[in-house]
Amino acid sequence: MATPHEIVTQKRAAALQRLAARGYDAPSKVFIGMATCEIAAGSKEVMEVFQEALKGGLKNVYVSQKGCFGRCNLEPTVDVIKKGKKPVTYGKVTVDRAKEIIEKHIIGGKAIAEYIIK
Amino acid sequence: MEQPGSDTHLHNRSHAIFGDMSFFSKQMRIALRNCGTIDPDSIDDYLQARGYEALAKVLTEMTPPAVIDEIKKSGLRGRGGAGFPTGFKWELTAREQNEEKFIICNADEGDPGAFMDRSAIEGDPHTVIEGMLIAGYAVGAQQGIVYIRAEYPLAVQRLERAIVAARAEGFLGENILGSSFSFDIEIRLGAGAFVCGEETALMHSIEGFRGMPRPRPPFPSVQGLFGKPTVINNVETWANIPVIILDGAEWFGSIGTEKSKGTKVFALAGMINNTGLVEVPMGTTLRDMIYDIGGGIPNGKKFKAIQTGGPSGGCLSEQYLDTKIDYDSLAQAGSIMGSGGMIVIDEDSCMVNIAKFFLEFTQNESCGKCTPCREGTKRMLEILVRITEGKGEQGDIEKLERLGTTIKKASLCGLGQSAPNPVLSTIKNFRVEYEEHIHQKKCRSNFCDYLLTYTVTDKCVGCTLCRRVCPSAAVTGTPKLRHEIDQMKCIKCGLCFKSCKFSAITKTSH
Repeated sequence: MATPHEIVTQKRAAALQRLAARGYDAPSKVFIGMATCEIAAGSKEVMEVFQEALKGGLKNVYVSQKGCFGRCNLEPTVDVIKKGKKPVTYGKVTVDRAKEIIEKHIIGGKAIAEYIIK
Repeated sequence: MEQPGSDTHLHNRSHAIFGDMSFFSKQMRIALRNCGTIDPDSIDDYLQARGYEALAKVLTEMTPPAVIDEIKKSGLRGRGGAGFPTGFKWELTAREQNEEKFIICNADEGDPGAFMDRSAIEGDPHTVIEGMLIAGYAVGAQQGIVYIRAEYPLAVQRLERAIVAARAEGFLGENILGSSFSFDIEIRLGAGAFVCGEETALMHSIEGFRGMPRPRPPFPSVQGLFGKPTVINNVETWANIPVIILDGAEWFGSIGTEKSKGTKVFALAGMINNTGLVEVPMGTTLRDMIYDIGGGIPNGKKFKAIQTGGPSGGCLSEQYLDTKIDYDSLAQAGSIMGSGGMIVIDEDSCMVNIAKFFLEFTQNESCGKCTPCREGTKRMLEILVRITEGKGEQGDIEKLERLGTTIKKASLCGLGQSAPNPVLSTIKNFRVEYEEHIHQKKCRSNFCDYLLTYTVTDKCVGCTLCRRVCPSAAVTGTPKLRHEIDQMKCIKCGLCFKSCKFSAITKTSH
């Protein structure tokens, strides 16, 4: 019989497959802060911008929510993780900024230095 | 597939993503390792981050006593604030011969300005479940309960989803992962009484009674929920368990100070540039916390005090800035570690008023069962109110001190035993402010309304606005000429000061 360890290893492999099926391997990953504090600061609207963009044909981007990572005064925060590049975290992301991030960073490939949390 | 930091140590994960941010450079994330790096609603994300591997490890290759030994060896102490060694707590319960035992997660976070537990559950609910499972296996319990505030709807929702997902994957329920170990978790909502964070009151509340503490011993580890042996730990403690199991007690014990191992999560709030959720190794100094991680005090103001441990803690002045953050050093300095609230106070705040604020809170939340807490805090608050209203008398400070020490000694539970701390520590560190309030009727921070004098200066253009807003007709004057405030009629409401568009009204305290 399989040991608990083997079972979890299998479960993990299955989870990775499911993630991959959901597009986790995409060249661009976007994580949007969706804890209570982030939502209060307006992250739901930001999430909608990304969801709309996906519906509108934005390809090769994995969009997910994430928990609070601790920068209360700079919320909502959005991480953009591009394959082979340093992850970037944007602060105080508004609807307009979100659109700009999609346009310039995700599609255009150029991070917007001004909004990045240092 | 890209898996940041998942190669060796669990705790590296968030640093792999955020490590070069200055805010994170002095931090170390163990309990919060997944907060902000995974989707909390997806068990796949948690599994990807080596989730439930610690559970598998204990079920596969460790006996219950070995698990307890590992936790003991790690030196982990309770993160709820009291700092009782976690491994010992588990051992006491494991030793009991009883068919039924309970594991409780205390997520009744009540300190004003604290949001560690909420963020931890909202960001990574599965780690709490895994921690509880491991304890269940170690002490021989089958049932876990998470006691969480109803005011945290999102945290409750995410935890519920996590429990459902864990059940579906076979991490909760009968014969977990093919072993003989069975365990399940249910959620109980608290109605937001501060005292229910106290373990015995919390258990009364789960049992359906009014949330009131009872004397200990017997301790919950022997006689807890429904009279059964119970392990109760705080959210952050649970979040540490899987990491200790996977990365090892030795590694965990290498972090921190001699008697306080690992890291501690703090909710940094108040007059500070980078408010936020911070996890630092024990032994980090308050100065590093405030200036390096917190980015200092905004608007060029001066640091005055730091309040740690919420309403049960104390205020430390500038001379304590180099105090190390660990259970014993903070206690020695006259405050406590507490569950992780950290409020920075700048020169604009009046320390007497801060003490009053916290005491008002604990006084309101006192359950009323024991006299020292119920009556004592009430009397202390009356004296404080008097002092801030300019009616302080000779001997008030001594009265506060005497009452405070008595309440600490005689109260039944942690709430009462710690309620006087904000007052006693501000008297110790800022006595001169109390004396000024009492003897000179002066508030150096210009905060206590009753001790202020409002005056109109030459900047006044005679717009009549202040005259119109004054509820006691204390302002007189004709349009376009400088107005005057009759000090005898002034009720110090401050409306004129707030309404003036020309900054022509000043408030001073002698």
